[in-house]
Amino acid sequence: MSQVSKRTRVQRLADSVLPGRTVGGYANLIEARLRKLAAVGSTGMLPMSGHGDGAIFFRGGQVIYAESTRTPTPVRRSVGLAALGLVATDGRPASNGAELVAAPSLDRLVSMLALTEPTIDAITELLSSESRYAKFRPFDYPPAGQMSPLSIETVLAEVERRRHVLRQLDPVVTADSPIVRFAPRDPPSFQVSASQWALLVRTGDGSTPRALAMALGRSVFGTTIEVYRLLALGMLVVPGRAAAITSGQPGTRPAEVMSFIRALSDTGGPDA
Amino acid sequence: MILPAADELLAPVMAIDGFRLACLIDGSTGMVLATREFRDSRDGPAPPTAAAGAADVINALTLLNGRLATGENLEDVMVTFSESFFMVRPVGLDQQPQILLLVIADRQRTNLAMAHRSIRDFCASFTS
Repeated sequence: MSQVSKRTRVQRLADSVLPGRTVGGYANLIEARLRKLAAVGSTGMLPMSGHGDGAIFFRGGQVIYAESTRTPTPVRRSVGLAALGLVATDGRPASNGAELVAAPSLDRLVSMLALTEPTIDAITELLSSESRYAKFRPFDYPPAGQMSPLSIETVLAEVERRRHVLRQLDPVVTADSPIVRFAPRDPPSFQVSASQWALLVRTGDGSTPRALAMALGRSVFGTTIEVYRLLALGMLVVPGRAAAITSGQPGTRPAEVMSFIRALSDTGGPDA
Repeated sequence: MILPAADELLAPVMAIDGFRLACLIDGSTGMVLATREFRDSRDGPAPPTAAAGAADVINALTLLNGRLATGENLEDVMVTFSESFFMVRPVGLDQQPQILLLVIADRQRTNLAMAHRSIRDFCASFTS
């Protein structure tokens, strides 16, 4: 009698029929497609559909932009890489960043991040949902000024790291968990950052980390972590999960502890 | 790294005596934005691990500060290992997203006070 379960046998059969597909499912199939597009130096757009629609844009085999209907799109800024000429808005290659050396500026650094973070956030979402890709469309470009060239391996490594962080958070909060403010009768004193305060004042009935991120134009991944921190401070609770993660006392914290280092260990090593 | 164009930004902190590694990290997501390593560094700290550790340390101390509620801001963190100094400082206070500077330096070759001053001046040079 076979020791292999029926499900495993079906998966092995599927793998043999679809060489790009692995036991991991859709995400690995998409990753294989992205690697292939990068390897041949593709330029164009890979449309995606499924739980969340979106697209990933390539230029010369590098990821330059991505968007998903389930993550915010980048906010157009009047400063930043486009203003410095570090990103091309008309198809020209970007410069090497020498301009930044002459005038280091936090605003410019934040502008660079403002272009990159939404792209990583969108790809994390597209690879996490059960998305499917459509036919690659060569020579389709993203909106002008919204390009931040990234190697596909850098993107996939970061997405993998984020998946492991999200897996740690999963027992406590997800991007789609409803959250409410915790309002004890005699609240203890807390100190929050401006960023956390912005989340707290917008949290109402039916709020989720994703909805707050969309409302504020912030990263869904980053907002989920920030919500976790507010849960840890005892200022927010997840209805239904509250009993599992807290003792019900004011100011109690999630039992799970998020760790970026542990996320790296889970991916198989620091350079994975 | 995610922002290779930003690697050059870290050139000034490489002048710190005993410099081994510097990273710019998005503290809100733990993502490494830029990295510079000492050119002869062998068996040095792995940048992703060091950066993840720095983000975890800042996360823990931010939670502590939130609970203490003294109205103070976290300015920097200095950790002394047997062979190295581990220094983390937010670049710009209450900036969203919070960007962190991590510098690791050889303990035998580094004047901690001078390194601290260099890092403070470097962060202050990032004016909005």
